Amino acid sequence: MIIVQYLARRLAFVIPLVLGIVFITFMLVRIGGQDAVGMLAGPMAGKAEVEMIRRNLGLDKPLWEQFFIYAQSVLQGDMGKSWQSGRPVLDEILTRISASLELLLISIALGTLVGVPVGLRAAMKPNKAFDQISRIASLISFSVPTYWMALMALFVFFLGLGWAPPPMGRLDLAVFPPATVTGSYFIDSLLAGDMQAAGSAAGHLVLPVLVFSLIIAAPTIKQTRAIALEVLGSDYIRLARLYGYGKGTIRRIALRNSFVPIITYIGAELATLLAAVALVELVFSWGGLGQWGLNAILFGDFAAVQGYVLVLALFASSVYLIVDLIVLIAEPRMRR
Amino acid sequence: MSLLSVRDLHVHFVKRDLKNQVRTAKALNGVTFELDQGQTLGMVGETGAGKSLTASSIMGGLAGSAKVVQGSIQFEGKELVGLDVETLNTIRGTGITIIVQSPLTSLDPLARIGEQLIRVQQEHAPISREDARNKALDMLRAVQIPEPERRMEAWPHEMSGGMAQRILIAMALVNGPRLLIADEPTTGLDVTVQAQVLDLLAGLVHSRNMATIIITHDLGVVSHYCTRIAVMFAGTIVETGAVDEVLNNPRHPYTRELIDSVPERIIDRGYRKVGRAPDLYHLPSGCLFRYRCPMAAEICHSVPPAKVVGPGHAARCHFAEQVNEAMPQAAMSQTAAS
Amino acid sequence: MTTVLTTAAPRPSFWQSSFVQHVIGITRHSPTFTAGVVIVLIFTVVAIIAPLLAPYPPTRTFPDAVLSGPTAAHWFGTDGNGMDVFSRVLYGCRYAFGIAIPALLLMLIIGVPAGLVAGYVGGLVDDLLLRTFDIFRAFPTIVLALAVVAATGQSLIIVVIVLGFLEAPIFARIVRAEVLALRSSELVESAVVIGNPTWRILLMHILPNSIRGATAQCAVRMAWAIRVSTTLAFIGVGIQAPAPEWGVMIRQGAEYINTGEWWIATFPGLALVGLVLGLNLLGDGAQELLDPKGRDSR
Repeated sequence: MIIVQYLARRLAFVIPLVLGIVFITFMLVRIGGQDAVGMLAGPMAGKAEVEMIRRNLGLDKPLWEQFFIYAQSVLQGDMGKSWQSGRPVLDEILTRISASLELLLISIALGTLVGVPVGLRAAMKPNKAFDQISRIASLISFSVPTYWMALMALFVFFLGLGWAPPPMGRLDLAVFPPATVTGSYFIDSLLAGDMQAAGSAAGHLVLPVLVFSLIIAAPTIKQTRAIALEVLGSDYIRLARLYGYGKGTIRRIALRNSFVPIITYIGAELATLLAAVALVELVFSWGGLGQWGLNAILFGDFAAVQGYVLVLALFASSVYLIVDLIVLIAEPRMRR
Repeated sequence: MSLLSVRDLHVHFVKRDLKNQVRTAKALNGVTFELDQGQTLGMVGETGAGKSLTASSIMGGLAGSAKVVQGSIQFEGKELVGLDVETLNTIRGTGITIIVQSPLTSLDPLARIGEQLIRVQQEHAPISREDARNKALDMLRAVQIPEPERRMEAWPHEMSGGMAQRILIAMALVNGPRLLIADEPTTGLDVTVQAQVLDLLAGLVHSRNMATIIITHDLGVVSHYCTRIAVMFAGTIVETGAVDEVLNNPRHPYTRELIDSVPERIIDRGYRKVGRAPDLYHLPSGCLFRYRCPMAAEICHSVPPAKVVGPGHAARCHFAEQVNEAMPQAAMSQTAAS
Repeated sequence: MTTVLTTAAPRPSFWQSSFVQHVIGITRHSPTFTAGVVIVLIFTVVAIIAPLLAPYPPTRTFPDAVLSGPTAAHWFGTDGNGMDVFSRVLYGCRYAFGIAIPALLLMLIIGVPAGLVAGYVGGLVDDLLLRTFDIFRAFPTIVLALAVVAATGQSLIIVVIVLGFLEAPIFARIVRAEVLALRSSELVESAVVIGNPTWRILLMHILPNSIRGATAQCAVRMAWAIRVSTTLAFIGVGIQAPAPEWGVMIRQGAEYINTGEWWIATFPGLALVGLVLGLNLLGDGAQELLDPKGRDSR
């Protein structure tokens, strides 16, 4: 069957893709002049000591051998140790990723729920007032840097109005985090029946989610509008009009045909947003993967940087894969 | 009363250019014709002559900046110009229907063939799904689609061009229209398939006693399938009449040029070499053809009247009576070759 | 005699002159384009004459006025080092253009030839290039930029080079698509038939046509370069304090936002939003003028 063939072809590309990703990640920390060994050893270390660390890390071997060793250990789930904390990078990532995902997924849901309908509505009557207003609004919020919007939101809603909690993590200091089930503090505290924790988690979520979903909604409006406009200008919609179809029917046909390109777009967005969320985390001290990754980059914690970049790339690739599968199901042309 | 009566139809494209000047393209300049039940009218002319635009005007499908600025279109005695979309929708798709030139992209890619055939019926009448399905199957048989039952479940992308055009014909005819407009129905199809589709169409139209307008570049199609012909140039019908009469005894220099300049009777390409069409943004006064006309004279600076030169045969030319005599074939073919 | 002739012809008034009519015409077609051009022009002028406009040198400290709010002496207040925020915001325009323009040039220098070759040669070269793009697509550009800049050194030149390389594939893709469309066009086909050498066809026929499609992207990519470079500086990678760069200034201001000294982060942010918005408006409008398809459909 064609689906199976397509799937096989698509999956076959995953292997070189992952290898390519691992290779780029590997090279990333090796192109620079930053001396990881020097940092590890500290300023007091003697020459012999430095040599020993080099040998322990395998840095005295030729580059291709280093890559081979690195690739092998990565595929076995060993990403090395962070020199800042001394803990395995994989553990560090696993404990933090749920915080990032909680913020990311809620924001994406909200941003999409706003962006897609607004974009569709704008496309229905192009160049009318609603279209112009939404277009300008999306251009403006598209031009505002995430971190600056977060800072301004903090200033207004925390310092000015006092509505938002201080930007220090995901819960009030006095509240204990719930037992981990999904990784989302809000959902987990609901599951545990801890209303105080749930309220605190929700309160801390509001501002970062608001900022990030605005950032997401802006390009979503623009893309949805463009996609819907293209569908509305297609030959089959033209013919539907000439055949005297009612407004509702035409709208339904247009919606169905816009679905796949919109899903593809949102998928592509989602893939890069795990990186973008880092800036929101930074301003709100969220304590997620992103904040940890930026910190690792700033301090040259190279095993951690590699781990961070690798996770982002693998996340993006799997999102692309999932989107391709959704398209495969929703799109009869692919099912041949 | 005619089934369709188009009178003095003017369509303009109005837009402002980047230099803030209002620019008006006079695309249709007084198109007038009538069509009765059972008649098949062939519309010919070069690209930009206004054939498709006439069709779009009748269907109420003018795009964007194009507007009907003058004239009337009456279908079964009802005025179509200025009609609101809801009322128009009770006529198009049922009373008047159209077949377009890009069948593959004109089918909804996400709906099965059967679904689309049922949809076009249910949009216009409260018909049950079961009845609509049966009618759709009958229609598929009528357009000679093999294994109609299986085809109902097929997707548009599984169709060949010829197959898609048959589906489109089925969709167009399933609601029993009185008027069919076929806008270059076979452009883009293989030559062998073209004849099949046209023969099929001619048969269906004849058995239903419908009126048909076939828009084409191909004089061969006109002479083979049409009863009447309308030759368009720069937004006007310059000559009209019975097909045999007009093709054997053309009374407008442009018609003459068409007939003579046509290698293999395909107008479009060979045609453009003969001469340029007038700029629709700056139409001259008088006869629009005079710049290319071998017979042009002083009098051509005034608008030529529609002269009746035979029963049901009229031409817009000051020299309509002399055209055939004054333009020997050899001279024309030389112009064509240069 | 000639003077008599020229004065005899009625001179059109200013409002009827073809230049003004042209401006009105373009504005009518795309108000966003005109708005974008005006905004970007203002920022360009400020960048050029910043020393004339700025009341103080951008790194001069006023020890007596550290963390002063907006006053008559310091319109936008001063920062934690006692530097004048207004002067620093003005000088920041120079950093923005100083990064965006060379980065854009680099994107074009790398991306356009790559797209030309991939599209024209096709086959294995094309496949290889596309697959490489696919692998790079998996890496969010901002994080790649961060990691590379952090690893290779904290200089402005490195930032420019990294930005240029990271977004070059966008232009390669656009040009490649245009080339594919053009390659089968009559124009190029006839050039091949006449016997023009390949490089000539690429240069004379395909390049000018395909660059048209990339023009609207130029403004958008410049906006992107400014956004990313300021983001890097905000995180603390790349350009460092006390350089009067907007990202650096917002980073400095972020420390004070929770204690109420809002002006340090707010003003450079507003300037940044203004310029990026201007460039995006310009790019959006240019797209609209080049391809007015969206206008006519109903």
